[in-house]
Amino acid sequence: MAWLSRPLTVIGLVILAHGCYSAHEHTVLSSTSVQHPTSPSATSLPLDIYIETIAATLLICLGLVLGSGTPEPIQWHTWAGKIEREGDSTSSDADKELRSNPFNALEARSGFINISKLRNDFVKYQQLGK
Amino acid sequence: MPSLLLRPHATLSHAEALQVAQQAPEFLRKNPASYSASPFFSLFSPPESSNTWTIYENLLLACLRTGDNTTAHQCLERLVVRFGASDERVTALQGLVKEAEATNDSELEKVLKEYEEILAKDNTNVPISKRRIALLRAMGKTSESIEALVQFLDFSSTDAEAWMELADLYLSQGLYAQAIYAQEEALIIAPNAWNLHARLGEVLLMAAESGNEGNPQNYLAESLKRFCRGIELSDDYLRGYYGLKRVTDKLLDANSKGKKSSESDEFTLPETSTIEKLNQAATKKLGDIVRKYDAKDPLWQGYDAGEVAAARTYLSESSQKVVR
Repeated sequence: MAWLSRPLTVIGLVILAHGCYSAHEHTVLSSTSVQHPTSPSATSLPLDIYIETIAATLLICLGLVLGSGTPEPIQWHTWAGKIEREGDSTSSDADKELRSNPFNALEARSGFINISKLRNDFVKYQQLGK
Repeated sequence: MPSLLLRPHATLSHAEALQVAQQAPEFLRKNPASYSASPFFSLFSPPESSNTWTIYENLLLACLRTGDNTTAHQCLERLVVRFGASDERVTALQGLVKEAEATNDSELEKVLKEYEEILAKDNTNVPISKRRIALLRAMGKTSESIEALVQFLDFSSTDAEAWMELADLYLSQGLYAQAIYAQEEALIIAPNAWNLHARLGEVLLMAAESGNEGNPQNYLAESLKRFCRGIELSDDYLRGYYGLKRVTDKLLDANSKGKKSSESDEFTLPETSTIEKLNQAATKKLGDIVRKYDAKDPLWQGYDAGEVAAARTYLSESSQKVVR
């Protein structure tokens, strides 16, 4: 449905512009024609301009809503479950937000990192690889 | 892959750390050596974000781990230029580099002395306190390390990381009751952390299995609650379901043997039918997760391969038991 979004928005904007133009034209014309100043129909806008404006606005709204991406989960367990299931494997460069459990830092504990042990382990790991 | 650069360094495997360290020279080349405060120059330099400095720190750690000391010093220099050598966090990183480059115990002792000198001037310096505790632990002085950590928690009692470290230290000594207490304190600070709930469940399960202190049934009931809470906070949580299956298996095993303890005054174990239902739900979910992971479902690839393998083995073991 995403491909519909842009054409719909553009068509809506064109129709809205047309509605505005019609309204402007109508007021200009009715103010210059002073033959029937008493008739109320000359000062109020015709019904079709109202309908055109409302329809155009709805069309633009529909186009914008269709064009927006899928919303992020707002429930904690759904969001957390998504992180657990998908991990950061699906995150592309487009959305750079962190896609892993933010509480993993509490189990990793970077402030208490034991660097000399990690270094020795890495040396062993490299020797195993060779 | 920026996400790898931003992940806390200690969660990375050796291969990932190497991958990060290899990106370091390129990152250093792409980013300017110093950021000017003048608005005119900032127009021409790449934008500076908080992520930049997290990445520098992670690169520093990765380079130290892989033994690339020259690049590590370059990263450290950038951090010093930006934040000044007297910044608490930067001082801790400088100490970390010295620790990494120390080749024998006497050099480590010297680093420890430096930490103590800094702490004598300002004993609420959080990063340095943490480094001192970590260094004591690394040097094998576990009891001193625990003592220092308890003192640290006296003035900084809302530090969940420190509570978790304390729990880990106690656990390494086999002091389950103390470890559980520290872990509960961490949970008070971060009540939504589903991995902490699962971890507490695991520690309780270990305590029940060791069975030297307290009532094992008591621990099992509490552990069951913890795993359930972890699952409640996170759908499809492999670790939570795995633990839940383990606990319920154990409880059902004990029940079938008729080992109902008489002194059931402090704890309330759920009905056997509820436990059975939980067990079935956990088995079903674990099966689902393993199947979808194996089927290379793109939306189910976030699990750790080792954890999935463990779940698979455990599932096949328990199904064999049922057949028998």
